[in-house]
Amino acid sequence: MRLVIDPTRCHGHGTCAELLDEYIRLDKWHYPIIAKQKVSVSHADLLRRAAQLCPELAISVVDD
Amino acid sequence: MIESVSVSIMAPTGPRRLSQGWESAHRPAPSGRVAFVSDLSTRPRLVMPLAEHVAAYGRLPGGLTLGMTLDTLRAANLTGRGGAGFPFWKKLQAVATAESRKSPVVIANGSESEPLSKKDTLLLKNNPHLVLDGISLVAGLLGAKSAYLYVKDREAHSAVNAAMRERRERGITELRVTIVEAPAGYVSGQETAVVRRIAKGPALPQFSMDRIASSGLRGAPTLLSNVETFAHVAMILRFGSEWYRQGGQGGDRGTRLLTIIGAVGRPGVYELSPGASLAEVLRETEAPDPRAVLFGGYFGRWLDLSAPHTAKFPMDDAALAEHRLSFGAGVLGVVGRETCPVVEAAAITEYLAGQSAGQCGPCLHGLPEISTAMARIALSSDVERGMHDLRSVIPLVEHRGGCQHPDGVIQLVRSTVGAFAEEVKLHRSGRCTAQGSHTSMLLPPGASVSAGGAA
Ligand SMILES: Cc1cc2nc3c(=O)[nH]c(=O)nc-3n(C[C@H](O)[C@H](O)[C@H](O)COP(=O)(O)O)c2cc1C
Ligand code: SF4
Ligand code: SF4
Repeated sequence: MRLVIDPTRCHGHGTCAELLDEYIRLDKWHYPIIAKQKVSVSHADLLRRAAQLCPELAISVVDD
Repeated sequence: MIESVSVSIMAPTGPRRLSQGWESAHRPAPSGRVAFVSDLSTRPRLVMPLAEHVAAYGRLPGGLTLGMTLDTLRAANLTGRGGAGFPFWKKLQAVATAESRKSPVVIANGSESEPLSKKDTLLLKNNPHLVLDGISLVAGLLGAKSAYLYVKDREAHSAVNAAMRERRERGITELRVTIVEAPAGYVSGQETAVVRRIAKGPALPQFSMDRIASSGLRGAPTLLSNVETFAHVAMILRFGSEWYRQGGQGGDRGTRLLTIIGAVGRPGVYELSPGASLAEVLRETEAPDPRAVLFGGYFGRWLDLSAPHTAKFPMDDAALAEHRLSFGAGVLGVVGRETCPVVEAAAITEYLAGQSAGQCGPCLHGLPEISTAMARIALSSDVERGMHDLRSVIPLVEHRGGCQHPDGVIQLVRSTVGAFAEEVKLHRSGRCTAQGSHTSMLLPPGASVSAGGAA
């Protein structure tokens, strides 16, 4: 599983970084930097929830 | 289907270059390894009529199979002329083998958003038939149901329209090409922006986890290439891969159209045969006292001519790659003694920062910061801080855009501070080697940016 953010959609609200502090940190403009791309299976639900909560629907969790 | 005539595609005859037969009342036939094709004037050209085109290049080859064509194009090693230099046969193969219920789509990119480039417009205005031949052949091989030509220049647009009318009147039955107007803007030529515009959306890049070869225009497998690339396809499938490899050591050994501008006496579009040396190029373009060359256009890299041996190396793919250079979008920008390459680069950076589509945070916020840092270095206002800011901002921007625009800017900036480290050092002490004013010769006419304009 992999975390992908569409940079053209993301408006830097930062909701994701609050929920997923292990995976995402924010840059100085408050846009997310994926710190850890590979997702452990135990976090799958949390990630899916973050994807749903992103106001711009910029987050995808890709199964591969 | 395309007109079917039996012509051996390996026939080693035919014109030696794309621009063969483009001579007109104002212009002699291009000749030599660095062949002058046209100046940069926008005066309307004589469009080559179909009969003349067929006389010069021959009819479209018939009976091509996909397998045979892939072999020919692979042997030719034709690479894309839109900037990235991707092997064309790989693209064709990817689209042909894409698993999709939708029929493939073919798109010729003639937006020529690189401000200094004139080669695509010139090609479309002089010989639209060659580009249409390429589109027709590729569409036929892929069994495409739709084909598009994306074009910005008005005269090029009408030249293509007239050529298509002529083809219909002469009874050539082929897939009809839809012309779509490309809006202004640097990023409007980026492939996903092209696809989005053709689907009636804005001409802005789109992020996707799929490549357009598997899912492009309305989800269909999409072959998108530069118009010059299509023209070469039309030549290679007529005359063969042996014919195409005209010189040079390795890589793509075909001719290419280059727009050569800046501190040269004869700016214009040239058709370069690989094997010509850089010295030959500088002589033919009448560069009086060249100091550096920006290879590839605004996303390009510099060659500092004061380094030893540089003028000698052959202008071919393989030799350029050894110097980490490439022809990129087909532009060479020559800088002489009048302007400073660092100031030139700062001006280009500011222009490109202004061309961000503003969709992605790192591009929107980061490019202006990179541009400000470059201006500090270029104008000697605070070189220390400029260099420091570049080091801290670049990692926040690189690979974080939805398209390659910010990475292209970073490539230019890195190359500038790398190639001209000595110049940057001089700037620290408030000096500059440029003899002229702090202006730029490499900016598009009408672009107003502060770094290039005001000292
Ligand atoms: C910001 C940006 C602008 C671009 N503008 C153009 C353009 O004006 N014309 C073009 O052919 N390719 C342009 N490209 C490259 C295209 O995305 C694409 O790679 C190219 O058209 C493919 O053709 P080729 O394989 O024949 O090179 C641009 C790329 C970027 C990142
Ligand atoms: S929640 Fe969505 S919009 Fe907000 S920073 Fe994260 S990805 Fe961007
Ligand atoms: S990286 Fe810049 S130019 Fe590319 S899509 Fe994002 S905002 Fe637009």
